[in-house]
Amino acid sequence: MSKHNVSRRQFLSYTLTGVGGFMAAGMLMPMVRFAVDPVLKAGAGSDYIATKQKVSEITAEPKRVDFTFEQVDAWYKSEVTGSAWVYKDDNGKIVALSPVCKHLGCTVDWNTDKSNPNQFFCPCHYGRYTKDGMNVEGTPPIAPLDMYDFKEKDGFLHLGPIKPHKGA
Amino acid sequence: MKWTPGDLETFEEAREYIDTAVVPLIPVSFQKGRNQSASMYVFIDMLTASIENQFKGRVMLMPPLSYLAGEEIGKKMELVHAWRKEIESFRNIFFITSDSEWKAYEQEFGGTLIWIPSIPLEHLEEGQARTMIVDQARQVFDLFTRKWNEA
Repeated sequence: MSKHNVSRRQFLSYTLTGVGGFMAAGMLMPMVRFAVDPVLKAGAGSDYIATKQKVSEITAEPKRVDFTFEQVDAWYKSEVTGSAWVYKDDNGKIVALSPVCKHLGCTVDWNTDKSNPNQFFCPCHYGRYTKDGMNVEGTPPIAPLDMYDFKEKDGFLHLGPIKPHKGA
Repeated sequence: MKWTPGDLETFEEAREYIDTAVVPLIPVSFQKGRNQSASMYVFIDMLTASIENQFKGRVMLMPPLSYLAGEEIGKKMELVHAWRKEIESFRNIFFITSDSEWKAYEQEFGGTLIWIPSIPLEHLEEGQARTMIVDQARQVFDLFTRKWNEA
């Protein structure tokens, strides 16, 4: 037998420390989990939304791309439609502009004002933006159109969060 | 603009730009025609929401003016006139409805009544329903822009 015998006192204190440790851990673990939970949660708002637009079919002419996503409004869950004006610029780079007018929030159209062709046009107060989204001076909007972050996935365009225009 | 405190705040600041009010007219019946009444409500609700989304910066979407479908037309007309008086500061006021009863009284509205037959959306999928609404809404958009261009 070993020389070192465990006394009754030692045995009890070891056991108590062990059991107490488990109990403390059992209480602390959920608390820690709750504390770090927001960090572990997948960012719901930052997800990219798939559109039906094939990246290879994007041309130099701005095209309206509609997409739907789910939105929870109080108790009511509904599908919301959003849209973007998508085209390729002179360097072949994709541009995805938000259609929301920076004046008061109407939806802008492409090339619908006959006297000012090839511009984005807001039907509410005749605000205008050039093709790259910059607001035309002398019209009501005071800022360029916002832009979408985007990425390509399986050949389709996915739109991400809305950012202010880079040229602003 | 919607009928919310937040949008009304924007409205106060940008009053000169928001010169058009939209009032949905919703018939309510709990006897016969109950389903049709609900169907019209859903249709007009979605249609006017689409208009508000397109013309947010110039249009104020009022809460719907609901009335009992069986009520006498003279009383209903009074109600409409009272609403029009209340919001007369808007240069343009549009009443939108699917209730065909109003159609016979179009002159009383002075060209501001938009009557659109409702589509029974309940048999459609959500995606299809949205496409239908957008198609209908496009025609209404034209009415609005034409009216604005007149002035």
